[in-house]
Amino acid sequence: MSISINLNVNGVDYPVTIDAGRNLVSVLRTEIGLTGTKEGCDDCECGACMVLIDGQPVNSCSYLAAQAADRPISTVEGVMTGDDLHPLQQALLDEGGVQCGFCTPGMIMSATALLSRNASPTEEEIRIGLSGNLCRCTGYVKILAAVQAAAAQAR
Amino acid sequence: MNFTIATTLDDALAAVAAGARPVAGGSDLVVGARQGKTPLPDFVVAIDRIDALGGIDATANGVRVGALVTHARLEVDPTIVGAYTGLADASALVGSPSTRNVGTIGGNVMNASPAMDTGAPLVVLGAEVELQSTTGSRRVAIGELWTAPGRTSAQAGELCVAVHLPPRTAKSGSAYVRLEYRRAMEIAVVGAAASVELDSSGTLVALAVSLTAVAPTIIAVSGTDALLGRAIDAALLAEIAELASRQAAPISDLRASDTYRRHCVGVMARRAVDAAARRARGESIAVPVNRSLGIGAAS
Amino acid sequence: MTAATKPRFIRADGPDKVTGSGRYTADLTLTGMLAAKFLYAGVAHARITKLDVSAARAVPGVMAVLTNDDVPDVRFGPFVQDRTLFARDVVRFEGEVIAAVAATTAAIAQQAVDAIIVEYEPLPLVTDLETALGADSPLVHTEWAAYGAADVLVRDRNDASFSSISKGDVDAGLAEADHVITSRYVADGSHAAPIEPRAVVAQWEGNKVTIWTSTQVPFDARAGVCETLGLPANRVRIIVPHLGGGFGGKCGFHYEAHVAALARAAKRPVRLVFSRREEFLAPDRRREGMVIDITTGVRNDGSITARKAWIAIDNGAYTADSGFFSQLAAMHVSGPYRIPNLHVAAHLVYTNHQPSGSVRAPTAPQSCWAIESHTDEVAAVLGMDPVDFRRRNAVDTGVEGPSGQTYGEIGVQQCIEEATKLVGYGRALPDDEAIGVAIGWWPSFSVPSGAYIKIDGDGSGQIITGAQECGTGSVMTLRQLAAEELGMDPEDFQLIYQDTSVAPYDMGATGSQTVFNNGRAVMAAAGQIAEQLKALAAEHLEASPADIVLADGHAHVAGTPSSTVSITELAGIAAGGELLIAHGSGTPPSAPALVGSSCVGDVGMASFVAPQFSCHAVRIRLDRDTGVVRVLEVGAAHDSGTIINETGALGQIQGGVMMGIGQALTEGTLYDDQSRQRNAALLEYKLQTCADSPTIHTHFVQINTPNAGPHGAKGLAEAPNVATAAAISNALAKLLGAPVRRLPMTAERVWETMSGTDHS
Repeated sequence: MSISINLNVNGVDYPVTIDAGRNLVSVLRTEIGLTGTKEGCDDCECGACMVLIDGQPVNSCSYLAAQAADRPISTVEGVMTGDDLHPLQQALLDEGGVQCGFCTPGMIMSATALLSRNASPTEEEIRIGLSGNLCRCTGYVKILAAVQAAAAQAR
Repeated sequence: MNFTIATTLDDALAAVAAGARPVAGGSDLVVGARQGKTPLPDFVVAIDRIDALGGIDATANGVRVGALVTHARLEVDPTIVGAYTGLADASALVGSPSTRNVGTIGGNVMNASPAMDTGAPLVVLGAEVELQSTTGSRRVAIGELWTAPGRTSAQAGELCVAVHLPPRTAKSGSAYVRLEYRRAMEIAVVGAAASVELDSSGTLVALAVSLTAVAPTIIAVSGTDALLGRAIDAALLAEIAELASRQAAPISDLRASDTYRRHCVGVMARRAVDAAARRARGESIAVPVNRSLGIGAAS
Repeated sequence: MTAATKPRFIRADGPDKVTGSGRYTADLTLTGMLAAKFLYAGVAHARITKLDVSAARAVPGVMAVLTNDDVPDVRFGPFVQDRTLFARDVVRFEGEVIAAVAATTAAIAQQAVDAIIVEYEPLPLVTDLETALGADSPLVHTEWAAYGAADVLVRDRNDASFSSISKGDVDAGLAEADHVITSRYVADGSHAAPIEPRAVVAQWEGNKVTIWTSTQVPFDARAGVCETLGLPANRVRIIVPHLGGGFGGKCGFHYEAHVAALARAAKRPVRLVFSRREEFLAPDRRREGMVIDITTGVRNDGSITARKAWIAIDNGAYTADSGFFSQLAAMHVSGPYRIPNLHVAAHLVYTNHQPSGSVRAPTAPQSCWAIESHTDEVAAVLGMDPVDFRRRNAVDTGVEGPSGQTYGEIGVQQCIEEATKLVGYGRALPDDEAIGVAIGWWPSFSVPSGAYIKIDGDGSGQIITGAQECGTGSVMTLRQLAAEELGMDPEDFQLIYQDTSVAPYDMGATGSQTVFNNGRAVMAAAGQIAEQLKALAAEHLEASPADIVLADGHAHVAGTPSSTVSITELAGIAAGGELLIAHGSGTPPSAPALVGSSCVGDVGMASFVAPQFSCHAVRIRLDRDTGVVRVLEVGAAHDSGTIINETGALGQIQGGVMMGIGQALTEGTLYDDQSRQRNAALLEYKLQTCADSPTIHTHFVQINTPNAGPHGAKGLAEAPNVATAAAISNALAKLLGAPVRRLPMTAERVWETMSGTDHS
């Protein structure tokens, strides 16, 4: 069954007509054309597809697009302000927290969600906050440093 | 797939009566379909916008947890953390922050996985599930809800609308611990929950222990009444471990052998009772026990 | 510090990656593009008795269905030509491709795949490495003797590559020992598991094909397409968009030819995107399982008299790039030690498992785990501190190693000192904690490599390189090397890379070789530009070219800073005359000589060019009730020569250590009794999470190595993956009183070892 819904992504309304069984990540990537959100697995086990819905992290691979109708969805493409990188994006570059970059969008979404509910997270809180995002390149060290740096800058 | 969004409980009940599968976060549904385990159902009703299913409310007979309450909320809610701490422990260990944000108590309970983390604490806390249909509602003791892996005693047309937790006494405590090979993104290999009530002298007056992932459903450990009237000491904890290991009926699979599971569930039961007793005595052990006491909830 | 070691390094591809604007292969869409799906064997060893794709071809929306009958009859493989694109008569592992479908949607393609009829006659499974080497074992390849193969390989039935290293008289050496210690260690296979599942897009225009693919080795991929589809190199263009990690898993030639063949047959562009499950099951690149028997003789004074070892390596069903594994494993099981008498023999054994291939430091972590665990056993027999034992027996500058190579200046002893210092080895610890120490080594790979550089009329530069970026930042580092040669800023350069039709050859993101080899090429090209700039400046400033200095974006006369002209101005002059364009390759360093040893099946791996050394010291905590281990702290000291890019180098150490922790504790392939993987999902094949990562301290022992890469740099990216599991093993053995002899050392295996100890 096709359904027609409105998806609000990064503040922009996108009317889409999709099969009701489609997951959110495929609609974001295909219908809406925002490929920053990645697919690394099928089942909430890598975090590459992380987006925010109502400001909270959601694995978009395992979430029906239809359920996101009319709810604010944030993806990595919406993290910048104008032409300026978000402090977390800049910190990831400065600290060397980006290598292959495939986990990076999901990592950014989880980290921004964490920082929005906890402006001064402890290292353990950051570790738990990012524990749903697998990274194979960095050993997480520089990602942790970047989140700490971004948090410090925001304070 | 036919899909509808219900915004009132009546709409949801009507859809469920018409054969719709209710979804809250939908993770189990979508993951199951993507993995080819179970195809998407023909008819789905999204119930996650029904405000009436969302609250944690004190009642005369305890606490009513709406079916849509997420793990993320349970792990920090003051009422749950304060009085039903074992449920908070379990909620804090589910998957990852995002799965805890999406996953709900109602969905978890009705999914009826023997490896679900919140199941064992609900059993020791004496929870009841409120099932509602277009024709009425009833309450089912949580232990009678699960009949087999993925199967419940709910009838067609019944929707889980809430989980009820009975009141706790002052000198009581609960805890949930599980074996985990890594500190996040885990599924329970084995786990155990305990609820402990002490009298003013520290003597055990009530004890319930239940076990995760060692049988087709979450199981309650029997024979714990024989331990009442004793102090909680190493000997008693060893007996609990022995009881738990003996009553477990684990399988061997890729996550662990039956032998190892049987051993570890005893360890988990012992640690759960110990942590619950410490909490009953007023000691503060932060949620979740696994993380506050270190690896594998080492004590 | 030179200009090339500026502390702050912002990678050129970083903004693409943090904003989501960077495109990976699966992000690409072409007009009219079809979706590809494969039919896999699903059984591990069987003869195909029936294959009928007619129902698949009849599914509406299906534009092409291919089997072995539809492609050239070519057997391929870099060492043994034992493989075909599609199964021919026999399937030898569960992930073997039987057929490929291209259809208008992925769902239709899958529907067509499901409509294909295949019938099998089961063949006996070959799974146990020792049994497979027996004379009466069933063969994985009955026609093995007829296959084409590299001349140097020694092959026999299920043994795809035998290799041995011998020196001195091993029996005499063992006879003169005071103690002879024998150990067996068994390692499970494991996976590279990059977070990006692979993807391929192919599009034909006329008789030329462009293939966008997530490969680490675009030129290898091109060679594979040319070989299997019968095309000249100049009609196949491989472009790699951003690559989402590889770790060796995306080395080699994989599915580029399948997708190109589908696109040709369908007359439409075709895209293949792997699921995570396919990523686990199908590619011929996973880390090899191994069985390792080691015997070492030692004198009471702590010196090694002899070492003897036997190694069996799981090759899986086909020989990918694994032909050199037997000799490399023999080197790693020998270890970086002073061993006068040595005999190590290694077999690369065909089985009905997924094929093995180069995953980050192939053979090394498992071999190091075995030899370093054994080394602690030896030290325990002697009653020596295991670190002291290593100080005494590890190789050093001017010392002869096990294969008869005498080393120039190397830093292994410094690595031992620094790593142990980083974690406070020897300090008092709680009784559930211990520190284990292990040393490791890894060669640098010396191969041809090329790059172009041009400076346009506005003074901005472009480096056009064959090198491939897989995330390490090594290609990003090339800007620094060019900038230093030219007195420019790294930001003055853009990188054009990962396109086989644009840039000269490079081996790719493999063998930690990018800076080592392509860095030399870039510096050579930059040197040519520098000569041009100096000539232009000399004319402009009326000086001799030999007196011109390039610095800070200007050319000036040595000793006369005021006599200066900007490089931008010189570039403008050049734009009206002889253009600033250059190419570089340079001569790869040659392999050192071996003295006194003899090698059978010699593929050139017994001599290490610019050898790298490392020592890892790891503090762990053990839950004695369950066997669960947590890694708390790691000290990693590395001699990888001069460090060109410290940020990138630290990232490699930290990531390599974390991968090593996973290999040590939670990552291992499990098979069912039909030789099918049981844990082909990230929930069951457990990578370490952010919550598990320990504190990692790093120290670089920077020795400017002659006959190495730029500025004395050696390779780097694989070396950090070598010693971590071994160090964890040695910490565990201290707590358990015995080593865990299976890798990964899962909680259950630890508990079993503990229980066995308790009962003894």
